[in-house]
Amino acid sequence: MDPLVNLPDWAGMAPMLAFAVTALVLFLLDSIEPESDSLSLTVLTGVGLIGSLAAVVLSGWFLLEAGPVELFAGAYVVDEMSLFFTALIGSVTALVVLGSHDYIAETDYRAEYYSLVFLAATGMAMVASANSLAAAFVAVELVSLPSYALVAYLKHNRGSVEAGLKYFLVGALSSAIFVYGISLVYGATGALQFDMIATAIDGDALTGGPGILGLGILMVIGGVAFKTAAVPFHFWAPEAYEGAPAPISGFLSSASKAAGFVLAFRVFTVAFPLDAVSGTFDWTLAFLILSIVTMTLGNFAAATQEKVKRMLAYSSIGHAGYVLMALAAFSGTGAESLLADVSNDSLLLGAGMMHLLVYGFMNTGAFLFVALAEYWGVGRRFEDYNGLWREAPIASAAMTVFLFSLAGLPVGAGFLSKYVLFMGVIGAGLWWLVVIALVNSALSLYYYSRLVKALWIETPETPHEIDSYPAGIYAAVVAAAVVTVLLLPGFGVVAEEAIAAAGALL
Amino acid sequence: MTWIYDLVPAIALLPLVSFVVALFAGKYLPKKGALAGIAATGGSLVLSLLVALTVATSDGADTGYNETLYTFLEGSSSAPFSLELGVLIDPLSALMLVVVSLISFLVHVFSLGYMNDEGETGLPRYYAGLGLFSFSMLAFVFASNILMAFMFFELVGLCSYLLIGFWFREAGPPSAAKKAFLVTRFGDYFFLVGVVAIFATFGTGAFAGSESFPHLAEQALHGEHSVNTFLGLGEQAWFTVVGLLVLGGVIGKSAQFPLHTWLPDAMEGPTPVSALIHAATMVAAGVFLVARMYGFYALSPTALGVIAFIGGFTALFAATMGVVKQELKQVLAYSTISQYGYMMLALGGGGYVAAVFHLTTHAVFKALLFLGAGSVIIAMHHNENMWDMGGLKEKMPVTYWTFLAGSLALAGIFPFAGFWSKDEVLYETLIHGLGESPLLLGGYAMGLLAVVFTGFYTFRMVFLTFHGEPRTDVAEDPEPVRWNVKGPLVVLGVLATVLGAINMVPIKKLTDADIDFLHQFLDEAPSGFLTSVHHYAELLEVEAGYGAADIGTTGLLASAALSLGLALAGAGLAYRLYNVPEPVEHTDKLGRVKTLLMHNYYQDEYQVWLATGLTVPVAKAADTFDQGIIDGVVNGISSVSRFAGRGVRRIQTGVVRNYAALLTLALVLLVAFFGVTGGWF
Repeated sequence: MDPLVNLPDWAGMAPMLAFAVTALVLFLLDSIEPESDSLSLTVLTGVGLIGSLAAVVLSGWFLLEAGPVELFAGAYVVDEMSLFFTALIGSVTALVVLGSHDYIAETDYRAEYYSLVFLAATGMAMVASANSLAAAFVAVELVSLPSYALVAYLKHNRGSVEAGLKYFLVGALSSAIFVYGISLVYGATGALQFDMIATAIDGDALTGGPGILGLGILMVIGGVAFKTAAVPFHFWAPEAYEGAPAPISGFLSSASKAAGFVLAFRVFTVAFPLDAVSGTFDWTLAFLILSIVTMTLGNFAAATQEKVKRMLAYSSIGHAGYVLMALAAFSGTGAESLLADVSNDSLLLGAGMMHLLVYGFMNTGAFLFVALAEYWGVGRRFEDYNGLWREAPIASAAMTVFLFSLAGLPVGAGFLSKYVLFMGVIGAGLWWLVVIALVNSALSLYYYSRLVKALWIETPETPHEIDSYPAGIYAAVVAAAVVTVLLLPGFGVVAEEAIAAAGALL
Repeated sequence: MTWIYDLVPAIALLPLVSFVVALFAGKYLPKKGALAGIAATGGSLVLSLLVALTVATSDGADTGYNETLYTFLEGSSSAPFSLELGVLIDPLSALMLVVVSLISFLVHVFSLGYMNDEGETGLPRYYAGLGLFSFSMLAFVFASNILMAFMFFELVGLCSYLLIGFWFREAGPPSAAKKAFLVTRFGDYFFLVGVVAIFATFGTGAFAGSESFPHLAEQALHGEHSVNTFLGLGEQAWFTVVGLLVLGGVIGKSAQFPLHTWLPDAMEGPTPVSALIHAATMVAAGVFLVARMYGFYALSPTALGVIAFIGGFTALFAATMGVVKQELKQVLAYSTISQYGYMMLALGGGGYVAAVFHLTTHAVFKALLFLGAGSVIIAMHHNENMWDMGGLKEKMPVTYWTFLAGSLALAGIFPFAGFWSKDEVLYETLIHGLGESPLLLGGYAMGLLAVVFTGFYTFRMVFLTFHGEPRTDVAEDPEPVRWNVKGPLVVLGVLATVLGAINMVPIKKLTDADIDFLHQFLDEAPSGFLTSVHHYAELLEVEAGYGAADIGTTGLLASAALSLGLALAGAGLAYRLYNVPEPVEHTDKLGRVKTLLMHNYYQDEYQVWLATGLTVPVAKAADTFDQGIIDGVVNGISSVSRFAGRGVRRIQTGVVRNYAALLTLALVLLVAFFGVTGGWF
């Protein structure tokens, strides 16, 4: 562990434990003071902010100072990749906590709400560190179960409850597929830990022929695809994102998706090395198909939506398609990239991580803007947002930054992360995949601009009646916008870290 | 004294400050920003003089300065060159800095009389424009690489646009400004391509030093360095192409045939601006650029030949048009085109010193003539038609005598400044023509013939304006002008008379006295810079095959006598025809030639035709293609996308059973596909 203070190895779990402890503290506060209106919301939000920022600071500190650690006989690793994602999850959690402050002010069970958010965040941090299929499954479930409850949090809202139920049903099916896949892999290789699976595959110590392993891997992809909301496991996403409280939509579409991707990056690069399994099952081809279908379906569907939140939900599916390109273009050979001194695989994974990081801010910010609009009761359709800049110029400007950055225009770091990702894919020779992604990006510019146009250019049919400006959501939206813009000049520094983390994994 | 080099950026930054002051605080200042401009350009002048003095008095490497100030793109392995801003001071740029800041300073002073005293409005904008103009030109002059030069070259173009169109409420000036902008921009496209080509070829745009692109080109020709050439051309041919591309910008800015058409129209701007544009900034920028990268042009005899021919032709061509103009400033405009033609002729003809010499003397006497014309225009209540003047000699003696000095210099009459420089231009072209490049004799002949026309139109202008009887009431009783008009005129008048003394080559050849000061000064560049005169002479001889014929003292005198005689002949004819109490128009005697000249050889007409008759139909066709086919495809794609999007929406039925079924179905399809291809079964 850290050479300066000689911490024990288990201290490596500190970022994850920060989430867990925060969740328990919130439970404790709730049980001391069960009457929801007597316990100050400010205290809850404060505890939540401290917990999530502590996770960010701890993981950032370990990332810079400490070396990798293995715990629980190698089932749990703390390395650069996991710390990077823990920091990402912590940042998104902080934004969500801050943005929820005003959003849930009028509801009951606020401590439970925060507590569930932190339990899910604990699960995400564990997913980032899981190094065995069993640990991964438990962690994924730890993410999923609180998420179902959070989506259905608005108990008296039909949409919210329905979305929660659908999410749960599709989730149960996906979990079943995932765990079945795990059992098949275990059956074929006799191992659950990622590196041991790789050793077994390499040593040809397979039981039951290639079919068992191939089917297992494909089903593991199913589990990952569910978490990342990739087609065809995406069906829950539009409804869950639309029905859930808007901060939770941001949380699920950013942090939960990132957790799914870190699992995919780790499982497929460590447990199923491409050179060993490509004869049985060329998973890059599977990801290539998923990537194309996901981005195309997500963007095309987003283009025809009438409701803003649903448009963002589909755009979130589209973005999962972009990041899937990183795995689709993976080569496993260590070939040079278009940048000097970096292998193309590290560049690809690093770019995927960067895109998820930037996406964590711009997408959460966009959903929080929707939360703001819901708070004001503006309405759900594009037309309802007409001329909102008159009442909320700062928030509208921030939203414009998010939308253009999501589309990949250089007002925010979304431009650079997409650019580097495309560069990596071209470096792998898949230029036609980049062409498809570019067409999709162009289409996405269309539907993002629709909202920008509504905000700034159109005039509202009836004037908006806005009487209060919630400080918490505003602070979160502005913070997200500032980070989205600052990552543009600061991109190089963070990207180096991400590429190094990817390189360390490979 | 070399510490002064650290202050070089201030030479340009001072006018930039005056630009900002005039723009934002101008309307609160007593003279609307004029005083800030005068102070700033005065400061630039003092600094430039100190720099020039340092260059002149130092030895060895101290005679120059070549430093990078700011790198805005660091080179890397994939893009192996840096883009930077830098300062290059050598004798050429030091001299030009003095010229530019001097003229700019005097123009600012003169503007007090021409603009403030005449009660013009919008003066802060005017002085802001002058400040930015001076800043751009000064920074262009000390630019250390071709990209920086290009950037400021473009800024100079922008400033000329802003100032020519200063009176934007009238019909003429905005149109003239647009024309100047567009025509020069046409040339600048070639320049831009040239800049890119230079970076692509050499990986550097530096002007001076052993890593500069002229030197790399020289080494490449000797096989000591390899460069990238394109289009399958050999090195020599490719360098010629690059040189000609850059020359496109030069032809536009320096108003050479066929891109000279913007310049006469640019007379719509305020007269002090015309003085600045013609003498020291915009038009001078083109010729200066060729001089700046002369080490590159000297490698290509073809490019030199093109330059010489364009120059000689323009000199003659513009001079003939100047003969029939009615308006004072129009005559001066055509004389500018013609004189810059001489400089190009000199550069192409191997006379680097001659070109710089003529650039310097011309800056002085052309500024003088424009400011003199400005003085006359004030007196004549902004009537510029020479046929409405006459007899102003008695009423405005200071203007007359200084204008006369400028005219004598322009016509090239001994011993005024223009005589020495023009004589050297023609002499250099002649000896190289007689030497090993006989084609230059064609350029020489045109330049020589232009001397007659120059003498004629110059004195026609002088006689019509100042001599004879006043032909209108205003000319009877012109408005008086103040010190701020007369002061600059006197300074320039004295300079136009004596400035030839800086490089009296014929006297040197006759007496062996060591008085070719300009030549020695320009030759002082640090040897590492490779921008000295003897280096260029070497290149010309070795690379371009320019040998000089020895035509002896007799030939020298004969050449000088010939050009002086022709100038006098032209002037004499003007004297016969126009120095009479009641001059009449003689242009009718020219018959159809007059119509041709009056229409400027239909240059504008054919260029307008190119725009409206050719470009517009092509653009319309492209527009039809764009609207019909490109947009059609785009619209088609968007319809298809929205249709497909609606289809995709339909998948999301809202019924969770369907989701589970589709999910499972998709998984089965994937299993089937990979199972078959992976041999699982």
